This record gives sequence, C-alpha cells and structure tokens, in this order.
Amino acid sequence: MKFVKLGMCTALLLLATTSIFANGQADVQETKEPVTIEYWTTQTQTDRQSTIQLLIDTFEVMNPEISVKLIAVDENDMTSQMATAATSKTLPALVEGAATTMVSFGADGLLNVDANKAVINSIGRDKFFEGALKINESETGAAYGIPFHGWLQGLWYRVDWFEEAGLEAPTTWENIEKAAKYFYKPSENTYGILVGTKAESFSEQCFTPIAQSNGATLFDKNGNLTFNTPQMKEALEFYGRLAKYNPPGPQTWRARDYYLQGKMAMFFYSTYIMDDLAIQDVAASSLTAENFNDLKDSQFDPELASHTSMAPTIENTQSASYGTIVSLGIVDQGDSAKTEAARKFVEYLFEPNSYVTFLHMAPGGMNPVIKGIAETDEFLDNSVLSRYGKEAIGEIVEGMQDIKTFGIVDGVKIEKADQVTAQQIIPQMIYKYTQEGLDIDRAMAWATKEINKLD
Amino acid sequence: MSTTKLTLGQKDARLGFKLVLPSVIIIGLLIVYPIFYNIYLSFFNVKMNGDAFYIGFENYNNVLSDPTFWASVGTTFFFVIASTILTTLMGLMVALVMNKKFPLRGLVRSLVLLPYVAPVISTVYSWQFFFDPVNGIFMHLLVDVFHLSASRFNLIGDPQYAIWVAIIFSVWKAFPFTYLMILSRLQTIDNTLYQAAEIDGAGDIRKFWSITLPELYFVMGSIVLLRFIWNFNKFEEVYLLTDNVKVLSVYTYFKAFTGSMDLGQGSALVVIQFSLLVGLILIYVKKVLKW
Repeated sequence: MKFVKLGMCTALLLLATTSIFANGQADVQETKEPVTIEYWTTQTQTDRQSTIQLLIDTFEVMNPEISVKLIAVDENDMTSQMATAATSKTLPALVEGAATTMVSFGADGLLNVDANKAVINSIGRDKFFEGALKINESETGAAYGIPFHGWLQGLWYRVDWFEEAGLEAPTTWENIEKAAKYFYKPSENTYGILVGTKAESFSEQCFTPIAQSNGATLFDKNGNLTFNTPQMKEALEFYGRLAKYNPPGPQTWRARDYYLQGKMAMFFYSTYIMDDLAIQDVAASSLTAENFNDLKDSQFDPELASHTSMAPTIENTQSASYGTIVSLGIVDQGDSAKTEAARKFVEYLFEPNSYVTFLHMAPGGMNPVIKGIAETDEFLDNSVLSRYGKEAIGEIVEGMQDIKTFGIVDGVKIEKADQVTAQQIIPQMIYKYTQEGLDIDRAMAWATKEINKLD
Repeated sequence: MSTTKLTLGQKDARLGFKLVLPSVIIIGLLIVYPIFYNIYLSFFNVKMNGDAFYIGFENYNNVLSDPTFWASVGTTFFFVIASTILTTLMGLMVALVMNKKFPLRGLVRSLVLLPYVAPVISTVYSWQFFFDPVNGIFMHLLVDVFHLSASRFNLIGDPQYAIWVAIIFSVWKAFPFTYLMILSRLQTIDNTLYQAAEIDGAGDIRKFWSITLPELYFVMGSIVLLRFIWNFNKFEEVYLLTDNVKVLSVYTYFKAFTGSMDLGQGSALVVIQFSLLVGLILIYVKKVLKW
C-alpha cells in the first residue's frame, strides 16, 4: 500500500512538472507560431518531388517560422482540385501550373494579384521575358501568375527513317500527313505519328499549333467567339486524318514510349523529351546487340538520340509554334500570414541557386523565364544540357519568348480562351470527333455550346 | 430531477442511446450531412470560387433534358445488369465446383479469392499493360502468335469494346465474393435432403433445381441486391480502367469536375442517381426478397 501511495505521488509530481514545462513550451510556440502553407505542384514524379522537398527543407532552415507542405496534383486534376478546395475553404497558399490555368483561376477570383505583382516587382519586372509576363496577365494587366519556367513543343521525328524514305522534314501539313501515312504499318506494329486523342490537356497541346497554322482562333481581339469557322473545321479535319495514323485507340503523351521503342516515326512532345533521349544516348554504348542477345533484330535503336530531330514550327497558311509557360500563383485564401509566407517562399525559389536546382530537375523541359540564366555556367553545368550545347538551349529559350496561345490575339489578352483550355473543352471535342465518331459539325457545335456556357 | 428514479427499462434505453451515440454522430457528419448538403447544392448555380446562386429546379431541368444523361442511364443499367448477372452465375458455378472434393481444393479456394482482395489500382494497371495495343501480351498472342486478328486494336480504350471490358473486369474482380457467400450456404444444406431425393430417383439436375437452388434463393437474392447497389455506384474501376464508359457515377464526375465544370448540376445528378437506386432497391426488396 505504501508503495502504491509513493508511486501515485511520484506520478502526480511528474505530471505536474511536465505540464508546467509543457505550458511553458506552449507559450513559446504561441509567440513564434509557425505558419504552415500548402504548395500545390504539378510535378508529380517522385524524383522531382524529392528535389523540391530539398529546396523546401533548405528554405525552412532559413525561415524556421514557415513550414511548407508540398502536395503534388496531376495537371489534369488541378482545376477540379482547386474548385473543390475553394468550395471547402481549404485552398493552398501557392499553386503551380500552366499559365492558361493561372489565368483561368485568376478570372475566377482565386488568386491574389497584388501579392503576385509584389513578387514580380521584388524580383524585378524587367528581368522576366516580357512574353512570359504577358501570358500570365489579365485583360487589364493584373498579374494572375508569376512566370516560373517553360517548355517548347515540337514534332519530334526519326531523321534516319525520313532520309531513307526520301521524305522532307515534317514542317508543313502536307509533309506531316505524307510521312504519317508512309510510316503507318500496323501489320508491322509501327505507327506514323502520335497526336493526342484522349480528352486530356495533351490533345489540345498537339491541336493548338495545327489550328493556329491554319489561322484558326477561338476569339477575336474584341473577345467575340470565332471558334466555328472554316479554318477551325479544316484544322480539325486534318487532325482527324493524322489521328488515323496513331497507334490504335485513344492516345495520350504516354504513347511516346512507342517512339523510344522504335515503333513510331513522329510524335508531338515538349522539350521535356530531351532528358529521356539524352539518357538513351548515355545508355546507347552498352545497349547493343553485342552485349544483349535480345536486342538482335529488334527495332530498338541505341542511336535514337542522334537519329531524332525536332520541327518546332508547323506551316500551312501561316507558321505556328506552341509551348507553355508554367507559373506560380499566390492564392487568395484570406490569411495574410500565409500570403506573406508564400511570397517569401516564391522569392526564395527565384534566387539563382534554388532556381537552377529547380530547373535542373528536367533539363530541356524546364527552361528559365528570367533573362540571362540560360547563358550562365551554373545553368549549363548539367549532363543533359551540355550534351545539347549552349546554342541549342539558347534557341529553345529564344523560342519561348514567342509562344503563341489562343489566349493572346494580336497582342490582346483574352481571358476566356484560357478558361476554355482549363475546362478541357477542346480535348473533349477531339475525343468525340476522333474516337466516338461524332460528326465534325456536331462535335464543333458541341464545343461552341460548351464555350458559350462559360461566364 | 435527482429524485426521479429511473426504471430498469429506462436505464437500458439510456445506456443503449449512449452506446449508439458515437455511431450516430459519425454517420450524421460523414453521411447524412453530405447528403443534405448535396441536395441543397443541387438547387444552386455553384461558382468555382465557392459563390452559389439559387436557381430552383434549373439544374434538374438541364440534367433531365440532356440526351447524354439518358445515354448514361442506359449505359449504367446495361453495365449493372450484365455484370450482376454474370458475377452471380460465375460465383454460383465456381461455388458448385469448389463444394466438390478434389486434390488441392484448399489452395484453389484461396487462389480464387485473389482478384477480390487485390487492390483495384494494381489490377487495373495490370490489365492495361496486358491489353496495351502495341506492347501488350494479349495483342501479341492474338495477332502475332495465333493470327486470330489481322490488326491490333485498343481493347480497353476503344469506345465500342470498352463497356465489355468494364463488365468482364467487374465480373472477374467481384465473383470471388459471390462464390464465397454461396459456398458458405452450400455447406450448410442438409445432406439428408439430397439422400431423400436420390431415393426418389432424382438426378443431379433435378437435385440442383429442386434442392440447391431453392436453398440458395435468399442468399443469392441478397448478393444480387448488394452487387446491384455496389455496381450502380461503381466509380473507381470503370473510371480507372476505361476513358469512355460513362456510367452515372463517371458521368457525374465529368459533369461536376471537368468540361464546363458544374457542381450544382453534379449535385442534381447525384440526387437523381440516389433516388433511382433507392426506388429500385425498394421494388427489389419487396418483390424478390419478400421482406
């Protein structure tokens, strides 16, 4: 009994002591309570998340009062996730995504344009490429997004196959169709081209330069809908014809693997592929039939990287190239402490060291939107980038300054065009037309109706 | 208050109420509240920033006058009826086989359960690799090895085959549950019934129709009901496996979250789907299960 009493007394004493210390700690925490912000990124790959996490960890050491929670969201789900978060009042403090998505969020009043502007000004407005800033602005010039990095899209093709067949580079409608038809040999499990036909963003990315090269637009510079025109119909018809030379069924960017396996002649893709091609190039020396019996007589080409070239522009009635600026947007979630923390974090991401670390996650795919970075030794000090060389990288960065989207007409920003993109109306139309066999006029009428529904 | 003495019955009732309270709170928060909030939302035009404007029955009008909604209802019924019937038949067949004695029966019984216990996401991706039109083993065997088809096709992606793939996947994934339920009932059927039938000269088919099937009636009735409810609300399998089988749950998702995103109309759709399901369950319970 004595022992029980003694034990109870000790326990009470311990409890009292720890609670005193615990209270003390709570007081300390109250005065220096950390702000936790959520950062939604579209970089869903594990290795990229590890790099971003490393950047976050470093930031948190320098800013102990701020804690950043990284959340990866697929680019196709970003709009729906933001809508759900807005409805349930659980918006993140910072979001990363294509500039068109940012404009769409901005137009819906989800973003804090003042905070974005403050970041741009503190980094220095004149340091950004003007085109990249413009793409992120509202019709009245408000900063919906802070341009972060960007990529160019092109039609990548097998130079060796084209040379052997005596075909010209796929830069015009005629040449593209001719080559796609020539290389389409389903009985040999080889396909002519990859154009997106699933109801996903990739389809619109492939379709945009084709439509623009035919002079088709979504809106005129006054914001009037100009979607249902003979130019757009012609472009969609052409796209449908190309889709017939695709691998079977609805396809998206993942089918680029068929190209890497030597089963496809051309595919639309961003400069992100440079990384994969360079890795293939590095592996080429060992991946030969001499070393691996299985590779004998296979279509696998260890020299694929050097047998690949990119056509960055498409020509028909005019020339068009396509690319995307990926931007950061500080979200208007009604908490000034979080906004301030997000602002600090974005500024940190733009510091030269962290910026280059971020861009090196996908060399070739993530290109700087800040002038001068591409020429620095620090940026070029990368196995993939050095393989392509300063000049080729310079051309890509140069090309990014001239990215055309449906959202800018004659230099005028049309926000509604970006909403059309964010709502994936064009990919759905492409799917209906190419996969469900919906008549072209009905498919376009459906898209027109959906666009008109947007506020 | 303190002077009133509770009777034993009242005390029991109080205790019972206290015991169920946590469940009531959880169900209230996680099920009842979302249902009512969903009904409430269905009368509003919900903007992306969370603003909502009352519009009466307009969402319902829009949904019911949309031909794609009725197409989706048709797809749903086809999917649910076909998958439920096939799952039940398959489960019954396997259960009858597994009820017989044969070597390694225990091992086979466990192996048959695998599709049911494997996570949906991993089985879906396995199927996608299996049926990949360019690199998948299925097309390789069909076209290159057995020459049963002249060209490769996208079995999972192509709109004309996709519904069948979704049905077959659903049957493959769910039949072990049906088989397990039927088998457990089969094992409890009194053997003397079969012996008496044999004395009366009944053959195997006669015994199946007159003893086995009536004995299984209620367990199969319940399984069909459960399968009907589950398949009617099935989302993840169909959405992950195919792009274009627009059963009601997938159609609602697309309506609410993609294209011209419309949470109000999505909510109206859910209410309609819920009402349809409840109506059908009531008819089924009354007519088939005779409750």
